[in-house]
Amino acid sequence: MDIGESKEDAVYVLEPRGRLDSANARSFEERVQAALEQGESALLIDFSSLDYISSAGLRVLLVGAKRLQQSGGTIALCALSPNIHEVFEISGFLTIFTVHSDRASALAAMG
Amino acid sequence: MLSFAEETMLLLLDDQDGSFLPIPEWSMQCALAGAVLMDLALADRIDTDIDSLMLVDKKPTGNPLLDPTLERIAASREMHSARYWVENTAAYADEIRDGALARLVEAGILNRQEDRFLWVFRSRRYPTVDGRAEREVKLRIMGVLLSDEIPDPRDIVIICLCDSCGIFNEMLSSRELERARGRIDQVRKLDLIGQAVAKSVWEIQASLAMAAHPVY
Repeated sequence: MDIGESKEDAVYVLEPRGRLDSANARSFEERVQAALEQGESALLIDFSSLDYISSAGLRVLLVGAKRLQQSGGTIALCALSPNIHEVFEISGFLTIFTVHSDRASALAAMG
Repeated sequence: MLSFAEETMLLLLDDQDGSFLPIPEWSMQCALAGAVLMDLALADRIDTDIDSLMLVDKKPTGNPLLDPTLERIAASREMHSARYWVENTAAYADEIRDGALARLVEAGILNRQEDRFLWVFRSRRYPTVDGRAEREVKLRIMGVLLSDEIPDPRDIVIICLCDSCGIFNEMLSSRELERARGRIDQVRKLDLIGQAVAKSVWEIQASLAMAAHPVY
């Protein structure tokens, strides 16, 4: 998995590409943790290039979101493909995360 | 750190006399199976998605409660759903339960007492010697149920397991349970193995209800 990252005003954007599963969940978690340690308090995860997410991937999202919540920050997700959206719906993650249809609307809401 | 099977066993024992709470056998078997699978998932040995449970690493964990299940998953030639593995592992629930209890006794958390009923029938109780572990688990659970914070993955697991085998009916008053129901339902969905456990338990309960009250 390749992870794109960028800063859009005050929002730090991570864009995981390909698959987010047990093979790379740790490295994604480290990237989220590194962002928190840099003092980032608004994190957007752009799923537009993600094809697959497993339980291990969902778990690191949850851990990252929890850490961000504890430090007073905010997290949002955007651009979920239909199959990723289905996983989020079945696993109840839509009740935990704020999800936007695309990056532009997410940035507008977080800005 | 205790395994989920050990934490589940602590919650399944009556605090007063160390006897087992009256919960359906199949629920307990599925909960213990789920506990083992969830520990394997958190140890990065397996992973799941909405269709399948996948082997990630067959290296033994060193925990005798977990490794027999890991071996069976590693030996399987086909990929199966999480629910298949819950029901497969439930067949070994007696070994998991006895192993978890033995570890808790060895750790000085429980004491094992043999009793005789009518001088013939043996019964076994596990009074608590050191209640800190159980209190810690209950505090974690209540902390999640009474807040709307994002739960920790370990707390999600134990809430899934408690709900699957009806422990909340014993742990909470009916009024507390009514208030917490929405939060329990939200949290227990967050783990796919937990969902598989709940479906297995629900299906057997539904079939038992059908057998007791058949529709002609």
